[in-house]
Amino acid sequence: MGGQRQIRPARVYQTVSNIMNQRILPHKKVQKPIWYDVIQSIPPSETLTRPFPPQHKIPNPKVRRPSRLYQPQQLVYEEDALRRQFYKDHPWELARPRVIVELDGRDAERYDWSKGLHQPGLPLSGESVVQRQMWMMYNVEGMTQEKAYDIVRHEFYALRHTEDIERRIAKEEAMKVGAYFGKSYMQIGMELEDREYESWKKWAGKQIEAVRAEQDAAYTNFGAAEEADPDSNDFGADEMDMEGEAPAEAAQTK
Amino acid sequence: MIIREFGARHARRALAQPAQQACIRALSTHPTMTTTALADLAAAGALTNPNGGGEPKPNKVPAIFAANAKGTRRKRPNEVDKTAEVHARGLQLKAQIGSLGSVVEKRYRPGDVFLNPPGPKDVTLELLMSSQAHMGHHASLWNPANARYIYGIRQGIHIISLEQTAAHLRRAARVVEEVCYRGGLVLVVGNRPGQSQIVTQAARLAKGCHLFTKWTPGSITNPDYILGGMKMQMVDENDEPLLGYERHLSERLPLVPDLVVCMNPRENYTLLHECALANVPTIGVVDTNTEPSWVTYVIPANDDSLRCLAVIGSVLGRAGETGHKRRLADAKLGIVEWQTPLDVQNFMNIQRKIAQQEAKAATIYNASEDELADDES
Repeated sequence: MGGQRQIRPARVYQTVSNIMNQRILPHKKVQKPIWYDVIQSIPPSETLTRPFPPQHKIPNPKVRRPSRLYQPQQLVYEEDALRRQFYKDHPWELARPRVIVELDGRDAERYDWSKGLHQPGLPLSGESVVQRQMWMMYNVEGMTQEKAYDIVRHEFYALRHTEDIERRIAKEEAMKVGAYFGKSYMQIGMELEDREYESWKKWAGKQIEAVRAEQDAAYTNFGAAEEADPDSNDFGADEMDMEGEAPAEAAQTK
Repeated sequence: MIIREFGARHARRALAQPAQQACIRALSTHPTMTTTALADLAAAGALTNPNGGGEPKPNKVPAIFAANAKGTRRKRPNEVDKTAEVHARGLQLKAQIGSLGSVVEKRYRPGDVFLNPPGPKDVTLELLMSSQAHMGHHASLWNPANARYIYGIRQGIHIISLEQTAAHLRRAARVVEEVCYRGGLVLVVGNRPGQSQIVTQAARLAKGCHLFTKWTPGSITNPDYILGGMKMQMVDENDEPLLGYERHLSERLPLVPDLVVCMNPRENYTLLHECALANVPTIGVVDTNTEPSWVTYVIPANDDSLRCLAVIGSVLGRAGETGHKRRLADAKLGIVEWQTPLDVQNFMNIQRKIAQQEAKAATIYNASEDELADDES
């Protein structure tokens, strides 16, 4: 139900005013509702009109008849270019899950990007790289975008490497005290290779058989008695042919 | 070349040892530990039963094949209750090593909004942003009537302007406060899963009614039938119950709310339409795909986030609480801004007339008795 514009909710005050003023039965008492004075002093705000939306990009002066003037605009920030660059170079960082729950909305005030990539309360991700890179570009003398990117991403690699080592050691420690895990990447890789090997072996066997069959078909069989069918009527037919040929060859050689 | 069974551990061979090692071992300074095979030991007779063989036992039938075999469960020894000892030991350990290690601070707890609900004065843009109030729906699913509340587009979704949200929320809070100051009944509605706690807390603070299940159509336009027999109470300006109105309460129409607050107007068209027909003002949380004309007062915010609705519900609830406090404080001073409802006034007039007639009849009776007495005397 719905999608339909309603006019009654916005006009509750006007409707009740009309009812109270149109005294059809003069002797019948009329009492104004409890909310009447409230809505009179605190009227509902303007709705349904479409004012000019907030502008986030400089409008093109050359455009004479701008369409989509009253549509909301895309929000763009300078960090977007840096984010695009980072995630283009490190696509697998997009596979890492990110928690974007905020504490009280003032988290950004507690970050100090001069101290390093690791900020309290913020997990390490491409976002920290971008913010630190921005800080470097604007706060360090003689720093360009590319230089800052290179410095910060190497810091990032070092931290990710540390995380990987921690994970590996944690797994080893757990296994030492009795934990068991699923298959390791090495085991999975080996199983996949084994499966490929087996299927290759089957294919290779078929190829060998095919080649052998071709070779056998290419040459006629001499003395292939064991291959002849005992029930066939062509018993000795090959031999007869061969006998015919052999003296001919012998005659030629002579 | 493929190496098979990579990483297979070679287990320690516990029993079999090659012969030459035994010789080397005999020459070493370590105490000799003969780890010879079981067969050798058996041959040497080391595994004979020290208690003596006894009689050779008859062939025992395994229990599972015997029809009347008793259960051979291992009998557990009677355990002594060591709970007190264990507890004392635990406390001792905790005292010694409990303070070691890092302190994990829990800085965000979702339940804090219910333990300490924010009021209209605590509404800031930061609070609304952390409550995810700015996240609208996908840009292709919008209702263009909501264009005035949208700040921009980001990640494919519309971003609701938090300045608009804050302003509209403060306006709605003022309306709730003033309605409660005048003794109005507020109904807080929220049908989606997870909204029950939000809705009940807001209603409790504003001393109103809550609804977190489906709205029964006709509860306002057909109240006799739907809500007949609901318990009601008559109170005076200090919220003290009044006696003598039981008959009226059993005969009168069920109450109609003076203000309805809806957390998900998109799913409550029937309720909002009934309110419009009965001239009841409504406040609704309107997302970018919701129709804003269904409600009287719009609060543009994210209706899919429970955290956002918890903040909005708390703000409106606290506003209602403030209004009721002001009303009771003024009532103690004798200032009452509301009037008795007309149906109650009618009932009181009728009761007064009946009482007057009874009093008149009583005086006539008394007067006639006096006359009789005078005549007699």
